[in-house]
Amino acid sequence: MTPREQRIFGFAVFAAFVVFVFVLPQFISDFRARDYAYVGIYLIALLGLNILTGYTGQISLGHGAFMAIGGYTTAILMAGNEQFGGPVPSGMQDIWTLPIAGLVAGLFGLAFGLPALRLSGLYLALATFAVAVAMPSTVKRFEEYTGGGEGIQLFGLPELTGSNAVAPADPNAPATFELLGLTFTQNDWMYYLAWSIALGAFAGAWLILRGRTGRAFRAVRDSETAAVSSGVSLARYKTLAFGISAAYAGVAGGLFAIASAFVNPDTFPVALSIFLLVGIVVGGLGGLSGLVVGAIFVAFLPLWAQGQDLGSLLPDSVIQGDTVSIPILGDFLFKGTSAPGGPAIVYGIVLILLMFVLPNGVGGLFRRIGQVITNRRYSRSK
Amino acid sequence: MIHRRSVVVAAVGAALAVALPTAFAGSAADPGISSTAIVIGGTSPLTGPAASYASVARGANAYFAFVNARGGVNERKIDYRIVDDAYNPAQTVQAVRRLVEQDRVFVVFNTLGTESNLAVRDYLNQVKVPQLFVASGATTWGRDAAKYPWTIGFQPSYAAEGLVYGQYIARTKKKAKVAVLFQNDDYGKDLLASLKAGLGRSGSKVVAAEAYQVTSSDVGSQVAKLKASGANVFCIFATPTFAIQSYVFANRLGWKPLVINNAVSGTSNIMVLASEGGKNKLVEGTITTTVLKDPTDPRWNKDPGMKQYRVLLAKYAKGANPNDVYHVYGMAVGYETVSLLRRLGANPTRVALMTRARSIASPKNPFLLPGVVVKTGKGDSFPIQQGQLQRWKKGRFVPVGGLWTSKRN
Repeated sequence: MTPREQRIFGFAVFAAFVVFVFVLPQFISDFRARDYAYVGIYLIALLGLNILTGYTGQISLGHGAFMAIGGYTTAILMAGNEQFGGPVPSGMQDIWTLPIAGLVAGLFGLAFGLPALRLSGLYLALATFAVAVAMPSTVKRFEEYTGGGEGIQLFGLPELTGSNAVAPADPNAPATFELLGLTFTQNDWMYYLAWSIALGAFAGAWLILRGRTGRAFRAVRDSETAAVSSGVSLARYKTLAFGISAAYAGVAGGLFAIASAFVNPDTFPVALSIFLLVGIVVGGLGGLSGLVVGAIFVAFLPLWAQGQDLGSLLPDSVIQGDTVSIPILGDFLFKGTSAPGGPAIVYGIVLILLMFVLPNGVGGLFRRIGQVITNRRYSRSK
Repeated sequence: MIHRRSVVVAAVGAALAVALPTAFAGSAADPGISSTAIVIGGTSPLTGPAASYASVARGANAYFAFVNARGGVNERKIDYRIVDDAYNPAQTVQAVRRLVEQDRVFVVFNTLGTESNLAVRDYLNQVKVPQLFVASGATTWGRDAAKYPWTIGFQPSYAAEGLVYGQYIARTKKKAKVAVLFQNDDYGKDLLASLKAGLGRSGSKVVAAEAYQVTSSDVGSQVAKLKASGANVFCIFATPTFAIQSYVFANRLGWKPLVINNAVSGTSNIMVLASEGGKNKLVEGTITTTVLKDPTDPRWNKDPGMKQYRVLLAKYAKGANPNDVYHVYGMAVGYETVSLLRRLGANPTRVALMTRARSIASPKNPFLLPGVVVKTGKGDSFPIQQGQLQRWKKGRFVPVGGLWTSKRN
């Protein structure tokens, strides 16, 4: 394929994906729509993180913290913090808080990008990790702004779009509300909101990365020395990457707060930052399309792992009643969903297997398939 | 436009046509009720800082399995779905939504943790799904029943408990200096405030109070500060992991106060762990309160309820430690749930469940101490309002005085 054909092919795939995303709720249950909304939210965060880590080569183990900044910005603007003794009145509609959440997180990202200039590789990873670790305590420290450990409840607030939904007579049917002449359930609304923004964010990331800025990012990643000698300003592009990346995380965090209708410091734990990094590695560093799979992975694997009956994989001889004995690891009480520690083991095993099979992530697989098609075309034209 | 409106009219008409017959028949079962099963669900900290409490769900699950084996409740089996929330309210929100919207549970049952339950209370009351027998003693469950008609607690309120400790100190110690470690949420704050109320004007007073966060890794610095206050009474208002740490740190610092440990971790299994194999003498003499029969107490060796408890646990929760009193709690709340469901008859509804839950009279729960009554009624939405003070002495609890009954909540 010529580059032009490649681009047309890419557009076609993207358009098909957009159509797919918008018709999907017709085919899944109302509750599933909310699950997939979380996929869209994670996709936004992963896009941002991949700009920083995959394209610019700066590892961040602290993106959960930028999500927290976005999430709290949204929650505080919606609910206000006068109830805790803070200065912010309530009353901003949820969707309008999202650009502000992105902006605030982006500014924090820019500010963090400055000291990060002096750090590279592992040291940067550690510094960002420290931010993720410190975030929950920081949130609790400023109780009058954030509500401390108890968090901020958004459920039922008029600022939450769809909180006026009316329950139908049938107790099995979900409540619906009207917006712009359309009827939504709360879960469908969340799905469309998250995915509209995610697709926009995807296109935005593509536009940023295709031109001069993207080239500069990749140059910084591949060799800082070479980049500098070609006239790329390290300081400018590294801080820019941090800023853009954090802004993406902020929007994702804001959406996360809206989708959960609740934030507390544990909404954005240290593990979230690590899961996000896992997400871009699974999706493929330095690619965009694979991140959709990475987001599905981040959103669903922990849940899926919880549903796996570890006991059913083992021979009957090691299972006594509801107890599964595994040498060294000890006994797992309960079968299936409630086996303590079981989900984490399943998660780990799946991750290791995946990295064996797809060392370059799903994006690497996509590229390989693309190469096969390209090669075939070249050999045909000969 | 006309065209669009006619489409809407047609759609509404069609919807009514479908909805009306069922509305008139009045037999559309509530979600979670089928001809063979009642689906109930709850979250439990199977992992995380409060994972010791997973035994509560395990005990309840064993009791339900026993009832199911004997034919279930009005010929329906209880299908109890337990979801892990790691004691993290943010995860509770998602898990409870999953239970309500995907698993379509009839009730959300015995979800554990004050913050976790607060995080989902507005939601459950809006969608009108019962939040039954909340596993938390925060006072708000009973006090705010009018505002949250779909929520009901179970155990004695922390406010009643704190008051009893305060009164005990006032009665037995002159001019005590009390140091308090408390969890920084409604649970810890309820206990602290009512402890102060109980001390009243006795001359004993709280000289230091240190909060810890659920997410913190240890309480070492708090305990050191409390020791530095020079207090001679140490109140531990903390969950098991932190309570054990408190004993260990206080002992290492050479602090020898009278310890008062709250009911949620003042259990024999926790006391044994805290005593570090008998090395930690600080554990001796600890005062706490309970409503449960302690499985390690030889007084109950021939008690029919506790005999049944051991049989059920051995049969339906294989490998579970019978000395873990949280299993007893689970069975006690399982017992009340089953009798509540039985009283709903052949066609259980959520509305009927909540009505019945506000008029319980159960004087003989086999897993609760004799004399402890589970009772609710008009203006009283606190199921259990009694308890027994007890002291840890040579590896077991001995009762101190008779049952206490809280008059005010």
